Amino acid sequence: MFHAKKPSTMNSHDRPMCVQGDSGLVLTTDPKPRLRWTVELHERFVDAVTQLGGPDKATPKTIMRVMGVKGLTLYHLKSHLQKFRLGKQPHKEFNDHSVKDSDRATSLELQRNSASSSGMIGRNMNEMQMEVQRRLHEQLEVQRHLQLRIEAQGKYMQTILEKACQTLGGEENMALPTRTFKGIGNHQGGLIPDISAAFKEFGTPPLTFSSFQDLNICGEHIDLHAQSSMGERSSSFDGFMNLSNTTTDHNLSLGKKRSSPYNTSNGKSPFMWSDDFRLHELGGGGSCLGSNNEDDHQIIQMERSCNPEIDSVSDIYESKPLLQDEKKFDAKLERPSPRRAAQVSSLSAQGGRNSVFG
Amino acid sequence: MAMMVDETISDFDCYASLSTPTTTITTTTTSSSSEDDHGCTWNDWSPVFDWDAFSGGDNFQDLIESMIQGSGNCFHNSEEDSAEIMEEEEEESGDSNNNQSEDINGLKLVHLLMAAAEALTGVNKSRELARVILVRLKELASPNGATNMERLAAHFTDALQALLEGAASGTLHAKHMFSPNYKDEHHQGDVLAAFQLLQDMSPFVKFGHFTANQAILESVTHDRRVHIVDYDIMEGIQWASLMQALVSRKDGPPTPHLRITALSRSGSGRRSFGTVQETGRRLTAFAASIGQPFSFHHCRLDSDEIFKPTNLKLVRGEALIINCMLHLPHFSYRASDSVASFLSGSKTLNPRLVTLVEEELRPIGDEEGFVGRFMDTLHHYSALYDSLEAGFPLQSRARALVERVFLGPRITGSLARIYRARGEEERCSWGEWLSGVGFCESNISFANHCQAKLLLGLFNDGYRVEEIGTNKLVLGWKSRRLLSASIWTTMDIDL
Repeated sequence: MFHAKKPSTMNSHDRPMCVQGDSGLVLTTDPKPRLRWTVELHERFVDAVTQLGGPDKATPKTIMRVMGVKGLTLYHLKSHLQKFRLGKQPHKEFNDHSVKDSDRATSLELQRNSASSSGMIGRNMNEMQMEVQRRLHEQLEVQRHLQLRIEAQGKYMQTILEKACQTLGGEENMALPTRTFKGIGNHQGGLIPDISAAFKEFGTPPLTFSSFQDLNICGEHIDLHAQSSMGERSSSFDGFMNLSNTTTDHNLSLGKKRSSPYNTSNGKSPFMWSDDFRLHELGGGGSCLGSNNEDDHQIIQMERSCNPEIDSVSDIYESKPLLQDEKKFDAKLERPSPRRAAQVSSLSAQGGRNSVFG
Repeated sequence: MAMMVDETISDFDCYASLSTPTTTITTTTTSSSSEDDHGCTWNDWSPVFDWDAFSGGDNFQDLIESMIQGSGNCFHNSEEDSAEIMEEEEEESGDSNNNQSEDINGLKLVHLLMAAAEALTGVNKSRELARVILVRLKELASPNGATNMERLAAHFTDALQALLEGAASGTLHAKHMFSPNYKDEHHQGDVLAAFQLLQDMSPFVKFGHFTANQAILESVTHDRRVHIVDYDIMEGIQWASLMQALVSRKDGPPTPHLRITALSRSGSGRRSFGTVQETGRRLTAFAASIGQPFSFHHCRLDSDEIFKPTNLKLVRGEALIINCMLHLPHFSYRASDSVASFLSGSKTLNPRLVTLVEEELRPIGDEEGFVGRFMDTLHHYSALYDSLEAGFPLQSRARALVERVFLGPRITGSLARIYRARGEEERCSWGEWLSGVGFCESNISFANHCQAKLLLGLFNDGYRVEEIGTNKLVLGWKSRRLLSASIWTTMDIDL
């Protein structure tokens, strides 16, 4: 595409204002003679650059030497090389969006037919437009990639926590952040209240997308309504949320399917960042979690038993009393946020400890 | 030389008399903070009092004088070892609102801290006085206190205490002071929980990792083999997102083979997330799960932690990247000799790229000495605490956990370093060091900057990212720069 783009600006055969110098270079006749990068010149340039190993390896000096064109200065080459390098980048990003050849041809025509003096201005405008378009496109790409990367980190973090849970879990019922709040009833040590206290008020922030993936009640996904008011973290986060809802096929492919209860009945891996998280199930889930499995399984109860939506993210962090009164509760059990609570303590309890970790 | 410590009750009217419209010290500021003055906008921090008069270098006598100014009580301050510590009381209780008394209390703590620092190292050094002040501070501030300032003061008090004892017993150079093994002291579960919280609550970790990763990605677009040498891999979480990005890149050759060599230190004891080998296993498993060709190597440093390039295994045709994460909040300080050896050793290997993440400290003039740097460190961590609080104002227990597990030991280490370095030439940042050694700056791309901005947008809007020079992004909180990520290369782009 770079090649396709450049010829429109390097077309010289129709421009009366250019003169052909003795050296074979085409210079313009404006007060300040500027070098015109003709197609042939550019071809030689590209040849030289590829000879030298690509635009990143080539330097203006070496290009000059290889090209061996008289009158070509380092200055010319520096700026042309820079443009070439920049041009290569969006070239790759625009792959999917590249203008069709026919369209390209028409735009060339237009360029050619425009008045010569405005042609230069036109070219600059065109470049500017391209620049803006490129930037916007890049920004979208960045946003998408960022989300994926955060997810990847979260996934990795979980492997750490899983491992730790296995090694540290043992006989102690460790309360660890993401997966479950294991029963604390048996613990003697002093550390648990600390962490649990920390998490009781904390909950899952909306920022680690991966944590969302864990939320799973009775085999259901959890829904995050993008419309929820986010407080100050509004715009870009909403953007992300919407983005996530539309780019749900970014399923990080896991080598092995984890047989944990986090896989839902429809077989989607927990990393599907998708619309079908349903929170309202939590209501039912809460009650199914709660009443039957009190002391034995030490389930952490859900606060919002019947609230179908997470009204606002900020609600999560409110230190409201987190438990419904009707749920009996082991005194030692610390109360996590609804998000944490929504994690499959009950399932894990039912399935035995090992199943939680696949 | 018996110490007389009389607890006298005095009114701290002096503060009220100097007051300007108050805002709380430790939470979000109202006044406009000039963006340029990244270091010492004390008024943001504590508008009740004029900080400029107190930034280091003051005569200790004057300090004590001013502290009792207007109190009208007897206060002995003498060169001999008798001193009295002033007692503050609930004089505010009746009339002032909570904010103001919080301010006052915070101020008292700061003053006491400064006095202690001064007593430890100032012109009129007095260990006894320092000890007394620290006792008082311990009474006032607790690590589980209600306000940021209180908890911060508690940690600083502990750090100063450690300095005091270390100086007394001559064990100041013990390794544990510089890289405290909080991982040993704290239960592993604590550390894990705190790490998870830290990642969720603040952008520091992600900022450092993602900025470095983006730079790496951009520099290896055409390569088939990538080799990364990681100075301090910790639990390896940085590489998870890099692998994901490599696997899903569309241009250039398909997923390149990634090789990571992690440096490990022998003496620092067992780390919280396991050893370097465990990290390697974890990364290998993760790579396998996403289809990234991967191999992991392990380069042991000797007990002196000096890096020798010859210990590395290099392969022809691979793109060599040097990754140096220092000073992320959950990292411990590494000895500067070690870091220096690593960076200068890597220069000989001619890497494609060097990514450096370090904390951003305000350059301090020599005349301010220990106290100046102490106050600057106080400001730095205060901003850090504030940033955590602003995002999560209600989760004080969670924050207290993070502070206790990570930041507290960091404070101790930080103070130990500046104490050790007092009187010496002020150390420049590692970035400056790199350019001095001969590395060239490498541009931060638009995409990278954009990514950082987007990332911060997910967190509280008090965070901001600046681009400094062409190769550095700095993450800051309000007016205080906290963490910088810079990229360097050995090639010169032009000629």
